[in-house]
Amino acid sequence: MKIVVCIKQVPKSDSVKIDPKTNNMVRDNVEGVINPFDKNAIEEALRIKDQLGGEVILLSMGPDGYMSSLRDGLAMGADRAILLSSRAFGGADTLATGYPISQAIKKIGGVDLVLLGRQSVDADTGQVGPIVAEYLNVPQVTFAEELRFVDEHTLYGQRLLDGATQSVQVTLPAVVTVRSELNTPRYETPVNIQTSFEKPIDVWTEHDLDLDATRIGQAGSPTTVQKVYAPKREGRQTVQLSDDSATAVKELLARIRN
Amino acid sequence: MVEPTSLQLITKARAIANGQRVVALLPTSDADQTVATVKQYGPDEILVLADDRFAAATDTEIADGLYQVVEQVQPNSMLIPATVVGRSVAPRLQAKLQTGLTADCLDVYFDGETLVQVKPTYGDDIMCEIICADRRPQMATVRPNVFQAEPAQTATQVTNVDFEFHPEAHIKMEKPTPIISSSANISDASVVIALGRGADNPQLIEKAQKLAARLGGMVGVSRPLTDHAEFGHESQIGQSGQSIAPDLLINFGISGATQYLVGIENAKTIVSVNTDPDAPIFTKSDYAYVGDANDFMDALMARVK
Amino acid sequence: MENQEKMAASMLHRMVREFTENELAPLDMEIDAQGDYPQGLFQKVIDNGLLTMTLPREYGGAGFSYDSVAKAIHLMAIGNASMAVTLEGHFKTLEQLLKYGDQRLKDEYLTSAAHRIFAFSQTESSGGSNPRGIATRAVKSGDDWIITGDKIMITNGGLAQVYCVLAKTEDDQMAVFVVDQDMPGFSFGKREDFIGLRGTPVGEIVMDHIKVPGYHLLGQIGQGLEIGNNAHDDARILMGAVLTGIMEHELQIAVDYSKQRKALDTPLYELQTIQEKISEIAIARQNTELLYQHAAQLKITGQSYAQVAAMAKSYGSRSAVRCGDMALQVLAGYGYSREYPIEHLIRDARAMEIAEGTVERMSGEIALKQVNQ
Repeated sequence: MKIVVCIKQVPKSDSVKIDPKTNNMVRDNVEGVINPFDKNAIEEALRIKDQLGGEVILLSMGPDGYMSSLRDGLAMGADRAILLSSRAFGGADTLATGYPISQAIKKIGGVDLVLLGRQSVDADTGQVGPIVAEYLNVPQVTFAEELRFVDEHTLYGQRLLDGATQSVQVTLPAVVTVRSELNTPRYETPVNIQTSFEKPIDVWTEHDLDLDATRIGQAGSPTTVQKVYAPKREGRQTVQLSDDSATAVKELLARIRN
Repeated sequence: MVEPTSLQLITKARAIANGQRVVALLPTSDADQTVATVKQYGPDEILVLADDRFAAATDTEIADGLYQVVEQVQPNSMLIPATVVGRSVAPRLQAKLQTGLTADCLDVYFDGETLVQVKPTYGDDIMCEIICADRRPQMATVRPNVFQAEPAQTATQVTNVDFEFHPEAHIKMEKPTPIISSSANISDASVVIALGRGADNPQLIEKAQKLAARLGGMVGVSRPLTDHAEFGHESQIGQSGQSIAPDLLINFGISGATQYLVGIENAKTIVSVNTDPDAPIFTKSDYAYVGDANDFMDALMARVK
Repeated sequence: MENQEKMAASMLHRMVREFTENELAPLDMEIDAQGDYPQGLFQKVIDNGLLTMTLPREYGGAGFSYDSVAKAIHLMAIGNASMAVTLEGHFKTLEQLLKYGDQRLKDEYLTSAAHRIFAFSQTESSGGSNPRGIATRAVKSGDDWIITGDKIMITNGGLAQVYCVLAKTEDDQMAVFVVDQDMPGFSFGKREDFIGLRGTPVGEIVMDHIKVPGYHLLGQIGQGLEIGNNAHDDARILMGAVLTGIMEHELQIAVDYSKQRKALDTPLYELQTIQEKISEIAIARQNTELLYQHAAQLKITGQSYAQVAAMAKSYGSRSAVRCGDMALQVLAGYGYSREYPIEHLIRDARAMEIAEGTVERMSGEIALKQVNQ
């Protein structure tokens, strides 16, 4: 079983600020961690490997700094990692991300299952999984909260919709995006941390892939961010209610019912 | 049943359309019922993709059907609910159309014929305005309940679209099963009555349970009350307990220790009741009542049936 | 590759921080109340490979350097000092096997350190702090040794399965032997009911004519005290780390509280008397950290580290108790309440003014070293 887990490195949540002078995001010294949902995806891949054998390959697209997250994934137990990194890939939106990722998966070859977290906690798009599935022309199961192998080629899954669950059965190859309810990601053990440095992280540029240059980077991105700003944050303004309980309740209900 | 967010988006589209036609795309297995519902919100046109198989269709099958219609209609923009299904179908459709899609928008508006898509990132810490300058359609999925659906009267044109349902091989989807939450989780409750040391007596606890039931909510506790048999770790609110984000939180006899406060940061409306006017909980509350918990609880019970 | 070592250490520290926050810290008060680790917790520690941080790769360990491991212990102690001390007891013992053990012994025993705790036992009911006064005897019998005696106050006593035992031979020489709980004649004795570090078991073992093979001797006959002292030194580095962690926790509580509360209309942290206390705790914490880290650096670079290790434990334990008391005062009524864990932290720290050599003995060692310089 060959499993590719697409991961993304995101800033640790309390590290993100807007520079009030330039209105741009402050990117220096922001600690990067594996997107939490991707950790669930890596964990699921490792469980499948524990159960059915095979290989878990991590795949990511981004700057060199992303290697630390790939290293963390290897320290969880993945076998090898590939980073798509090049100026040419920079400035990509979801479409121009999904394309090189799917080309990389095709180059890896013989991939049975592609796993991703349901969305990243920075951009929150959740689009790359379905885009990759479309480019690979395979079925997708999104927002999976339960996964089970019926046999080596057939995966049973349960999606969590808004207020409902939905069962699905799919024959591999397929793309699956996972929810955090799916599993609890394992810790990187001290031994696995050390051995992670013995596992390869290959860096591929646009020259290593079969690519249409007009579909990557900024050129391949239909969307652009025209403005970024910090939303106005209001602290809570405390309203003192009347001393008399009956009046206080009346005041309260009047306000919150509006 | 029509996804309520779709109806909200029809209203929003009508509000920002500025002369453009608002067309509802309706893949459905129950055309009569769904068309009747959608009509009430006044789109200029409803394009019906009718097929029984839409009752349990895969994301790809839906995207494929929509793709055929979009190729025919060539819209300027598309708004899709950012529900699980919407967020799964839209990017698949985006890839087929080779266009731009912005997910989970909090607002959309037109600047000429460019759709400006406003979305939060980094967990709502930062707002982005995104545009899709050249490709068409400009696509956006929009968060549920950001906009209100308003019924409207228009002469809505209803058309059955000529399309072909292409069943997807190698995948079988079942019909969705609604979740009836029996053992509800306090972190999902929309109303929480929280009790602290100042409310630690049997009568108050009993009243709180009754009040919670009336409000359709649950009772939670700060750490000291987890000594009670009926309040385990799953009822505990705070750093070592649950984080809650209810629409309404009423704190009784809770002083507001940091360990508690971190569990309630995202509550929408916080009401706090405490005899101590200096209790830190008040600085984090929207409404403060300095006085006896019993009095306030009785007064509230009297008004909430 | 120096950079790789740094990255690996940083990944280790992140893992220990997360593991502590998620698995150990939430149970800290429960462990204190019960006086034991809950079911399954220790297995989690084992399953996540935490017992072999120091062990070289050839024995299945992770081979992290002692200073990186000391930092990991420090981070764990912020959330759960008991478990940090359990690991400390295990690691300090492994150091003696690594340094003094026969190759056959190491090959046989060290791989099991992944799932079995190793403990070092010197103290006896008779001797107190004077090791020469011990009653445990080792009698030669062919190539083997027969060990008889009993040891008390062993860190992890009862939880550990392998014990290094300080014994006296027939010709009055001190030696350390490795004894296994599965050996005939071995039994567990009383477990202490301590006021702090209540998760870390401290107990007694009784050895009734236990036969150990010759290669279970650590080092040479006559090296017993040297090995015992070395064990103390290695322990004291890690205790300095535990104490730093405890002070970090005390500091956090005092700081958070002072931000939250007001006296009349002034936030507490703006009051000078509060600032003094917070500042003292911060300085003591920093000092202890520097001491244990320096001692660890001296150890891994092959230099003499006994003095600085003693300072780390002596200064650290006194400070942690004193700072805990200061933090308690910052919280005033709430500090005296069991709702906040301050008193628990003081009780935990207090143990280390005694364990691994009392602070009085530390003073003696440090002063005499200065005198004999």
